[in-house]
Amino acid sequence: MRPPPGRQRLSREFIARHQRARIVAALAEETMDRGYRAVTVADIVRRAGIARNTFYDNFSSKEDCFLATQDFAVEESLARVLEAAAAEEDWEARTVAGLGAFLKYVSDEPALARTCIVEALSAGDAAQERYEQSLQAFVPLLRKGREHSEHGDDLPETLEETIVGGIFWVIYQRIVLGEAERIESLLPDLVDFALTPYIGAESAQRATARL
Amino acid sequence: MSYDPADAPAEYPPELSRLPPGRHGLPRDFVVHNQRERLIAGLAEAVAEKGYGGTTIADITRHAAVSRRTFYEHFEGKDECFVAAFDTVTEQLRERVEAAYEAEDEWSDGIRAGIGAMLTFLASEPNLARLAMVEALVAGPVVVERYDASVQTFVPYLEAGREGRPKKVLARLSDSTEEALVGGMVSLISRRIVAGQAEELESLLPDLVEFTLAPYVGSDEAARVARG
Repeated sequence: MRPPPGRQRLSREFIARHQRARIVAALAEETMDRGYRAVTVADIVRRAGIARNTFYDNFSSKEDCFLATQDFAVEESLARVLEAAAAEEDWEARTVAGLGAFLKYVSDEPALARTCIVEALSAGDAAQERYEQSLQAFVPLLRKGREHSEHGDDLPETLEETIVGGIFWVIYQRIVLGEAERIESLLPDLVDFALTPYIGAESAQRATARL
Repeated sequence: MSYDPADAPAEYPPELSRLPPGRHGLPRDFVVHNQRERLIAGLAEAVAEKGYGGTTIADITRHAAVSRRTFYEHFEGKDECFVAAFDTVTEQLRERVEAAYEAEDEWSDGIRAGIGAMLTFLASEPNLARLAMVEALVAGPVVVERYDASVQTFVPYLEAGREGRPKKVLARLSDSTEEALVGGMVSLISRRIVAGQAEELESLLPDLVEFTLAPYVGSDEAARVARG
């Protein structure tokens, strides 16, 4: 979207933010089409329909833009998860809703998902580190389950990291195998996987049965 | 000077051991084979130092103490050498896991032993651990495909745990249970390696065993086995 002609109606800040979002989306789409390595700044600029200078006003390099794309996707998906979770009363229902919102985001945003869950792993040290941090962002949400678990104090220290890692791995596999459309249907399996360690298999199954 | 494999530095698996420099009077077949292993070990050292992207053929040949020409007699380029290194490491890992798993009578003890063998190997070979579990992902699509396939090879060990379980237990296991368990385990191990804590990997054993066994045997029994 170009600023309207004549009088400037949008704040400088709004335009700047919007431009960044557009560039980030262009990087994700190009990455999905040709793989991150092959993407050039020229590709991103063309896809976003902006001037090369505008790109460099916002980002110092393709790598810098990639990291911003990861931040953008993590921020957005986390916001959706928190919003969905907040609408529910108890931890169990919040986890189900949050996970559902996450899978929906992944399936609604195939380019961002591929960029941040698959390509991020091979896009260099900084991107890999960002990926690790993004997994970490989901840990505290699960960790609350310890308060609702009979054996919350005895659960392995690394449990949440392992569960989040397992969920991301399953999603990664579906994307790599070209089965991204199946991602939302994974919800019952993944809910079961995430809840069982806290509330036991039978209660987890009751939660899954309601889906 | 004669070469005795027993003199190889203990921290390297036998096939990655160094051939001492100088004249050695060994059969050519052995030398050729050994050169290849040296190049693989050289690549692992270079990658540990500079990462896959930063590693050059010159780095590999310097670490391996062989000539550039020798490198090209064995490999077309860095990528091919990396694939060979990756395959060697994952093969080693699989053999150790298999041996540890097979040595136990009970499935759950086998899983514990298998995870233990994996952690011990990776902790004792931090360079190789990094190569196989972190650098592999940046080494191009061919290696990434092998990485994915290699992770999947651990799925059947867990699937064997379904055997003979009551219907109630089987009903709550899903098609992706094993995939998620293996993925969770690999992800946790990789994170520790990225954080430079490869040498402390063995401390994850109880957590990983409990996590992995719980869906099959219940959390109490899983915790019992995990604590040994």
